[in-house]
Amino acid sequence: MLQSKCAQGWLAQRPSPIQSTPRPASRGLGSHIRQHNWQLRAAAEGTAATEAPKKAKPQKQQGGGKAEGGKVPDEAITPKSEDYSKWYLDIVAKAQLADYGPVRGTMVIRPYGFAIWEAIQKHLDAAFKSVGVENAYFPQLIPLSFIAKEAQHVEGFAPELALVTKGGGKDLEEVLAVRPTSETMVNHMLAQWIQSYRDLPMNLNQWCNVHRWEMRTRPFIRTLEFLWQEGHTAHATPEEAEEMAMRMVRIYERFAVEEAAMPVVAGRKSRAESFAGANCTYTIEAMMGDRRALQAGTSHNLGDNFAKAFGTQFLDSDGQQKHVHQSSWGVSTRLVGGLIMTHGDDKGLRLPPHLAPIQVVMIPIVKKEADRPAVMESISQLESAARSAGIRVKVDADERQTPGWKYNHWEMRGVPLRVEVGPRDVESKTCVVARRDKPGKEGKQMGVSAEPMAFVAHINTTLEEVQAGLLSDATVFREANIVDVTSYEELKQAIAAGKWARGGWSGSDADEKRVKDETQATLRCFPFDQPAGPHTCFMTGQPAPEVAIFAKSY
Amino acid sequence: MTEPVEKAMERADLGADGQAPKQPKEKKEKAPKEKKEKKPQGEGGGAPGEKEKKKETKLGMQTSKKESFTDWYAELVVAAELISYYDVSGCYILRPSSYAMWEFVQRFFDDRIKEMGVQNSYFPLFITEDVLNTEKDHVEGFAPEVAWVTKTGSSDMEKPIAIRPTSETVMYPYYAQWIRSHRDLPLRLNQWTNVVRWEFKYPTPFIRSREFLWQEGHTAFATQQDAEAEVMQVLELYRRVYEELLAVPVVRGRKSKKEQFAGAFFTTTVEAFIPETGKGIQGATSHCLGQNFSRMFKIEYETEQKTKEFAWQNSWGMTTRTLGVMIMTHGDDKGLVAPPRVAPKQLVMVPIPKASTPPDDKKAMFDKADELKAQLERASVRVVTDYRDNYTPGWKYNYWELRGVPLRCEIGPKDMENGNVVLVRRDTGAKEAVAWSDLAARVPVLLETMQADLLAAATERQKASMAKATTWEEFMAALESKKMVLAPWCDEEEVEDDVKKRSTTPTAAGAKTLCIPFEQPDLPAGTPCFASGKPAKNWALWGRSY
Repeated sequence: MLQSKCAQGWLAQRPSPIQSTPRPASRGLGSHIRQHNWQLRAAAEGTAATEAPKKAKPQKQQGGGKAEGGKVPDEAITPKSEDYSKWYLDIVAKAQLADYGPVRGTMVIRPYGFAIWEAIQKHLDAAFKSVGVENAYFPQLIPLSFIAKEAQHVEGFAPELALVTKGGGKDLEEVLAVRPTSETMVNHMLAQWIQSYRDLPMNLNQWCNVHRWEMRTRPFIRTLEFLWQEGHTAHATPEEAEEMAMRMVRIYERFAVEEAAMPVVAGRKSRAESFAGANCTYTIEAMMGDRRALQAGTSHNLGDNFAKAFGTQFLDSDGQQKHVHQSSWGVSTRLVGGLIMTHGDDKGLRLPPHLAPIQVVMIPIVKKEADRPAVMESISQLESAARSAGIRVKVDADERQTPGWKYNHWEMRGVPLRVEVGPRDVESKTCVVARRDKPGKEGKQMGVSAEPMAFVAHINTTLEEVQAGLLSDATVFREANIVDVTSYEELKQAIAAGKWARGGWSGSDADEKRVKDETQATLRCFPFDQPAGPHTCFMTGQPAPEVAIFAKSY
Repeated sequence: MTEPVEKAMERADLGADGQAPKQPKEKKEKAPKEKKEKKPQGEGGGAPGEKEKKKETKLGMQTSKKESFTDWYAELVVAAELISYYDVSGCYILRPSSYAMWEFVQRFFDDRIKEMGVQNSYFPLFITEDVLNTEKDHVEGFAPEVAWVTKTGSSDMEKPIAIRPTSETVMYPYYAQWIRSHRDLPLRLNQWTNVVRWEFKYPTPFIRSREFLWQEGHTAFATQQDAEAEVMQVLELYRRVYEELLAVPVVRGRKSKKEQFAGAFFTTTVEAFIPETGKGIQGATSHCLGQNFSRMFKIEYETEQKTKEFAWQNSWGMTTRTLGVMIMTHGDDKGLVAPPRVAPKQLVMVPIPKASTPPDDKKAMFDKADELKAQLERASVRVVTDYRDNYTPGWKYNYWELRGVPLRCEIGPKDMENGNVVLVRRDTGAKEAVAWSDLAARVPVLLETMQADLLAAATERQKASMAKATTWEEFMAALESKKMVLAPWCDEEEVEDDVKKRSTTPTAAGAKTLCIPFEQPDLPAGTPCFASGKPAKNWALWGRSY
């Protein structure tokens, strides 16, 4: 953080009304019923994020004059190995993904970060619609009495609700909660909308903001306000609700693997780690670069818990009044944090081509002014060829910066491919294509044809190679960091070494709590893909129906 | 509104073919539910909701647009499943059919601002009191409407936190940080968000609600010229949203000083008009903020000559109100009429077998419907089929008419013989037989025709609602006949205040300027202001308004 400065002006003196707010009671496993996406063990190591919000000063771009490939202090970030947390915050600031919001724990998502979220939205929204989900919008302000209706749910969420008590200069008649999630609001409506089996299934989704008064925050990973989608479905039978919950976690898994190049483990949460109010929670768990687990998306089978609390009933074809069975599922801007920590390296961000706002950056290499027109002409032809093929391109023709500065600049931002064109390339009707995922010469291909069709074909192929390369890198890394354990001792060693531990598990809730208290590792999931049995519980020595994965997590 | 259920059903059940179909089974299923429904218990102003709630179970509209516009609108938005009420007065659920229309508006506008070079971003919902108070004029405009978070969990907060009513004060401190040099300009950001304004005026779904969805663009430029060019560019996009997507004609103009945005240099607007109520409605606004906010927030940049200048800023916003204006403009006594470009479903396919139709023929009919649906979908037509066997065709016609689907495609035994379908337009009821082989070509044409016809019809009504007045008497007469009035004006704030007072009647609020239209009729020198008699400076468009 060579150039970073502390917040200036109002940001430095911004009021922090929450600093004096007493912390809610510590949430150990004792209150584990409330576990959900955003809940993390308080035991996790402290994060520097809110303690010392540093603001990267907008980059001051000095004139050229730097040697090609030379060090550019403005763009330097803390190496991953030195301080992972700082590395992450540096990328967030310097790649201009997000900034800290005026209220502690909130964030401003800057255009580059938001464009990544928009790409995520586009993929997922299409996937949801393809399985018959419709978008809607439910109000942000939920009467507190709604939230109180489902006992486990309210217990889970009450401590972190933001409550509105005044509006337009008057005290409100009823206290309103700023939505932390919308199961209660949705069910209040479903109880009115659903009457007959013909109204089912009802598959709704909304893209919105939600708020949870979190104490330990980190941009994208855990923020007081975050953007997400929340799907809510209602079905006539338990089987259909289960099927939907499974279908959605599989959609998340597929998205994570195919678009985000994140090799997630899909599985089932333990009872202790399930959503407050759910019968069963499914999850996708990703391994970050520091080998901590990140819960990247969840899908819940809610059974008829909310339906009973809200009286959401329908008249079935057999003439009986029945409660509906439901699912809910969500992913959030946390995925952006997951992308950074899955793929980023010491040069900055590495974005999977499918989600990259800019897939290809084109840089003219001009040493003599006389060469410029021809180089720019070639670049502009390549740009228009790529653009008309639907490739997201950016030309960086800024004459004030050296090519080397630009290389660093766009590598920091994780652009998957760089195209360089110099006078010699113009002569030979070629260009140079460099991959972000492979350093130096290895990732650089000279003499790529500048003929539009051939060029576009080459770019498309290479983008897919980068996409596959990132997935493969992350998969290799993950596999190397999962240890199969057969005893508690082995688990302790694996966790102490920062790895994930996988082993047979049939322990009790108390056993699970013990693991957490003693190692800080939590039961991430029972993976859907189970190794062949039989298994023995590493804790109790009893036969175990399944293996579970334990890890420290975000 | 108190019409008995039976009578309403009777009317609703009169199908297009004139025969009264059987009572649908569904009605019986729904009947017990009706009693269970709770009335919304808002803090007042929730009246339409309470009345309309009960009608969810019935089919067909019971109020007439002409006779009782306000009730008609309140009934329509619920009956067509566009919105739902809940316990909080002035807040609504946008149900899938209205949200899908909002998505069309979003996509159109979002694509175009991105072409212009605007980027999306997201700024927090929560604003600290100090930040909210940065801009005086601005705060005075919004402070009375702010909703405050005062507690987290069970603890009281030391200082309350505001929920954004708009985001100028959240965003501009960042602009001050991010903008240093002329090279950082222009900075053009937009966000799609919810905002909350805790108003106590009578709420109307889409039109005025305490929480609404919108986009807010906030941009900064080096020069006044660039900023002003963008103001007009965006206003043109707003016009296109209304006219090209929603088929609602609008008048473009500048707001008077009194009506402009708090803290703006000037405000431009697109104004729509609802002839039934005789009220103008602000469609969307594009503001040039000048350097007012940049001075306040110290948004300065270094010019090429190394001098410091304050940035020129704009802000512009469009809300879900767009949908309300569209519904009011095109809806009729059968329900919603959705312009084809924003209709979530553009065509409903209804096979109409007779009780005597043999099973094989019936199957052939449904297969044909499927086949035609697939052809239409390949032609990018959004199709829904209604194969329900527990409803009569007439009931289905009403059902889909209520929901505003632009075209109905009927296919009956005769049509099977002739290789035809019958298309029925939602707006005019006009029917035409179309050969199967022509359908995929005909429907897109018909949809575009309908889109154009809706705009043309609405434009005609708008023109008929526009009066010119040069004297106070003419002005009041026009106003009383539910018109908007174009009148020569001296452009003085006190006169506008005075007009508002003088035009207030026991039954209607006073008139204000809707805008000073860009298209100005000739104004011969010496023309007096219709209200003050002072020399007029322009023609202003006046009206009662939402």
